[in-house]
Amino acid sequence: MLKTLVKKQIFEVFKSYFYDAKRNRMRSKPAIAARIVFFVVIMVGILGGIFLGLSFTMCGSLVTAGIDWMYYLIMGCVAVFLGSFGSVYNSYASLYLAKDNELLLAMPIPVRDVIGARLINVYLLGVMYMLTVLIPADIVYLVLTGINVTKVIGAVLFFLCISAIVMLISCGLGFVIAKISLRLKNKSLISVFVTLAGVVAYFTFYFRAGDIVKALLLNAPEYAAFIKRYAYVLYLFGCFGAGSLLWAGVFTTSFAGLCMVIFHLILKSFISIATTSGKMERVAYKVIRYRQKAIPQALLWKEFQKFITSPTYMLNCGLGIILMPAAAVFMMIKGRGIIDTLNEVFVSRPGSADVLICTGIIFMAAMVDTAMPSVSLEGKSLWILKTMPASAGKILSAKALLQIILSVPPALILSLCTGIIADGSALCRFLIIILPLSYAAFAAVLETAFAVKMPILEWTNENVPVKQCGAAFITVISFWAVSILFAGGYMLVGYHLGAEVYLLAWELLFVLSSIAITKWLDTEGARIFAELN
Amino acid sequence: MLKIEHLSKTYGTKRAVDDLSLHIRPGEIFGFIGHNGAGKSTTLKSAVGILQFDEGKVYIDGKSIIDSPVECKKVMAYIPDNPDLYDFMSGIKYLNFVADVYGISVADRQEKINKYAEMFEITKDLGMPISSYSHGMKQKLALISAWMHDPKLIIMDEPFVGLDPKASHLLKEMMREHCDKGGAIFFSTHVLEVAEKLCDKVAIINHGRLVKVGKMEEVKGDDSLEDVFLELEAV
Repeated sequence: MLKTLVKKQIFEVFKSYFYDAKRNRMRSKPAIAARIVFFVVIMVGILGGIFLGLSFTMCGSLVTAGIDWMYYLIMGCVAVFLGSFGSVYNSYASLYLAKDNELLLAMPIPVRDVIGARLINVYLLGVMYMLTVLIPADIVYLVLTGINVTKVIGAVLFFLCISAIVMLISCGLGFVIAKISLRLKNKSLISVFVTLAGVVAYFTFYFRAGDIVKALLLNAPEYAAFIKRYAYVLYLFGCFGAGSLLWAGVFTTSFAGLCMVIFHLILKSFISIATTSGKMERVAYKVIRYRQKAIPQALLWKEFQKFITSPTYMLNCGLGIILMPAAAVFMMIKGRGIIDTLNEVFVSRPGSADVLICTGIIFMAAMVDTAMPSVSLEGKSLWILKTMPASAGKILSAKALLQIILSVPPALILSLCTGIIADGSALCRFLIIILPLSYAAFAAVLETAFAVKMPILEWTNENVPVKQCGAAFITVISFWAVSILFAGGYMLVGYHLGAEVYLLAWELLFVLSSIAITKWLDTEGARIFAELN
Repeated sequence: MLKIEHLSKTYGTKRAVDDLSLHIRPGEIFGFIGHNGAGKSTTLKSAVGILQFDEGKVYIDGKSIIDSPVECKKVMAYIPDNPDLYDFMSGIKYLNFVADVYGISVADRQEKINKYAEMFEITKDLGMPISSYSHGMKQKLALISAWMHDPKLIIMDEPFVGLDPKASHLLKEMMREHCDKGGAIFFSTHVLEVAEKLCDKVAIINHGRLVKVGKMEEVKGDDSLEDVFLELEAV
């Protein structure tokens, strides 16, 4: 039974590689191969490449200093960090949010098999991430210090131990997230802030990681002595990675025992967490004064309600609403220095600073993309809009308008703060202020067009329409392309025109494109929407 | 009130509805019966404008659903077999949203909401999110939203599924009352006893083709509707 469940679990994870849900058929062999190659390039080429570079940077100096164990301690920590971050949400989602939990629990399948299959899936995904760190680390170490049997056995056991730690952290934190989520169910804004706090903490550490590694390398002997004195167990763990079989045995046994304890804890609590619907306070119905809305307002209000009640939607499509005001504050404090630096770097291309900071603003404005999944999010409720006396044009307008309302005010705050400190004439500053606003409108109508052209209405998890569908992919690619064209165009030829003319040309382009797409939405887009079912 | 002329709809190579014509007049409760996959839901969805059909015409209150969809939708209401409502709204917010789109005045909607919510005994639940509703409660909310704007035509797909006996009885009374006031109702059902007692007219569909249509007495004669249905299915 466990084998069947594991196969089902793994197929679910990689289903999209083999199966085209939109066309309801298996993908062609070239399409499957292309997806696998793309995946391998990302994992091996990009992630593996980054950690190969990091290993080369550290290994030589640490081995020369005679503290090989510290190299393994650092790389082990990096592997744990990456593996855990990649799997925490996965362990929470696949253990407690799986749609088939109730179905499987109703079948004559032992609960330990259901959990076992889910945990093996979590384990494999964690291993996938951590191997991108450990394989380059081992290769570099063995190349620089020479290979022998003890080191190879040590490396294999080290891998097993690190994977156990990743598993422990993933399951432990997954369990904590599940407990917190039970308390936060139906409290979407709090969920958003808790998640954002986690993301901010992660990226703060991530961006400081380079400085931390530099500091470690510069003062490696001091840190090594400090660890040996105050955190001896970490020293022993590093020795294990560097090939000490005694400590390999001790740590492997300890972590295996801990894994059993965690498995037992999950087994005991699984059913109560996976099947509970969370506390929901009873809201008494009270007749309140209500102001009648016209159809466009009612549709807009409905879109807004959808946005503010879904943490997934808010986090993935509304991040720019928070980031743009934060960036505005940053620009007021550090902006002048950034502009001066840009002017120095691009001294042969005057006006580059204006165009580049404008690129930054439109890039951030693109982080509000509520229109993109808005049609797909209708899902099985699409019948409501389709049977109401509201034209498809009005329905689509409401979707675009929500994005404009959510993106324009923060974009205005950022562009005003930037315009104040920018160089150039009054016209140039004015264009820096209004260009991001035109871009926000352009992005809203373009994403509504993507939304109606590439909807996915059959989904069981909101993540699919919000971030895993074709519209999401095209949106990201398009806005990267626009940003690159905008900045690159100036660097290549636009600087001959000067910043003012260049920005004015893009302003016109955004306005005219927005008008053209709006017309398309009113006619062809409305026709396509009417045909959706 | 509802006129369907030579309606055909194909999914891939399967002809779901084949040259179907029906006419539902004001004051009629019109039942639509057939086996699973016979084409009932496809016909209903085509009639309300959810599905685009390949051939034929649909007129609601004299207007074409293709040429004047918004005008048609103003005078009708639809309830699907599985009422997937907006889970992110509370019951009262959903009803107010529907009322806004149909242009119902605040006083009028309040009166209707109070009346129907009391009848279906869900007044105290209107403040709760729809995500917390059972299937039956969602069905009741969908019924209130349909009746709230006084449509001339109500189209329902399996409306009795999920309703408790009291609510089912109430719905039957509401349907009768609606038609007595000059409205029309077109609904599909598998509950043949209900259809037999409630409907003025009935249509039986088999593999997308209409096999029998007419007044209830004419269709069933001296037999029960179940006997007639099973006999036609066997052919």
